[in-house]
Amino acid sequence: MATNSDKAEIIIPPDTLQKKVGSSGGKLPLNPDVLKRAQRAMENLRQEFSDWLTLDIEALSKAFALFANAPTADNAGGLFRAAHDLKGQATTFEYPLIARVAASLARLMDGMQSWDAAPLPLVAAHVDAIHVIHRDRIKDISNLTALTLAEELEARVVKTLERASA
Amino acid sequence: MDGLRFDKLRILVVDDNQHMRKLVVAVLQAVGVRDLFESPDAEHAWAHLKESNPDVVILDWQMAGMTGLEFVRLVRNSPRSPNVFVPVIMLTGHTHIDHVREARDAGVNEFLAKPVSVKAILSRLMSVIDHPRPYIRNQTYFGPCRRRRAVTAYHGPERRAEQFTAVD
Repeated sequence: MATNSDKAEIIIPPDTLQKKVGSSGGKLPLNPDVLKRAQRAMENLRQEFSDWLTLDIEALSKAFALFANAPTADNAGGLFRAAHDLKGQATTFEYPLIARVAASLARLMDGMQSWDAAPLPLVAAHVDAIHVIHRDRIKDISNLTALTLAEELEARVVKTLERASA
Repeated sequence: MDGLRFDKLRILVVDDNQHMRKLVVAVLQAVGVRDLFESPDAEHAWAHLKESNPDVVILDWQMAGMTGLEFVRLVRNSPRSPNVFVPVIMLTGHTHIDHVREARDAGVNEFLAKPVSVKAILSRLMSVIDHPRPYIRNQTYFGPCRRRRAVTAYHGPERRAEQFTAVD
């Protein structure tokens, strides 16, 4: 039985979006022409992806330098966000293994209960691995050397986080 | 999507990474959206929300300063919010179910996980257009209904003492 404390009001907002745009009638996949246009737009940006990735990796390096110099919460947050950006974008920029290593670094930074406890050599190893994968243009997700490196870093992060939470 | 008027939409893209902003904006422009507004951080987006007056917000989660989640809570709950109903699509590298729940509980309408694809961007956009959700207000939450199915499709016992309100 409902009480005053769990009383919920259901509000139907004005349906302005369908009035403005119309409705697809819930039909997906999308109209092929619209989809092709959007995919072409993404393709046109592809030539810029390499420059964008370079800039994002530079941002990671700067964030790492700040953190290494002073492991404050602000600097740790900056390093986490730079790694998190790469985790989300590097696959789009055709470097899935950079995304994987960045995800491992983001997990390490996010998982440490105390920012200044994040082991600097392990953080540095992630940043170095990202530089090497980028320098050697390793885009193949099954590249054995890079894959082994990523797996090793992930395993060390798991162990570090287990130790930190023990 | 034949005959859809994307040119009528106003969309705000909030992301502190200019590359991701550029990517999302390019895809939206390609399908015909003209009124696109970009914010490099949530503070800027909040300060200019009234003038940008978006129909949809595409929002990054992790940003320096105000996070995407804090922005959504302001939009949904602040007395100064210009539109508490504006649909928000959360764009994020977070993919764990706990993050999805956290975003949902803040009042996010749709979740768009990175890496993004053209199909995923357009699919989430069509979802907020085609399937507008009712909004729920109770003591602890205001935002889109967190049940995925329409409330009218539910035939079981009601835990809520519901009261319907239509907003013009």
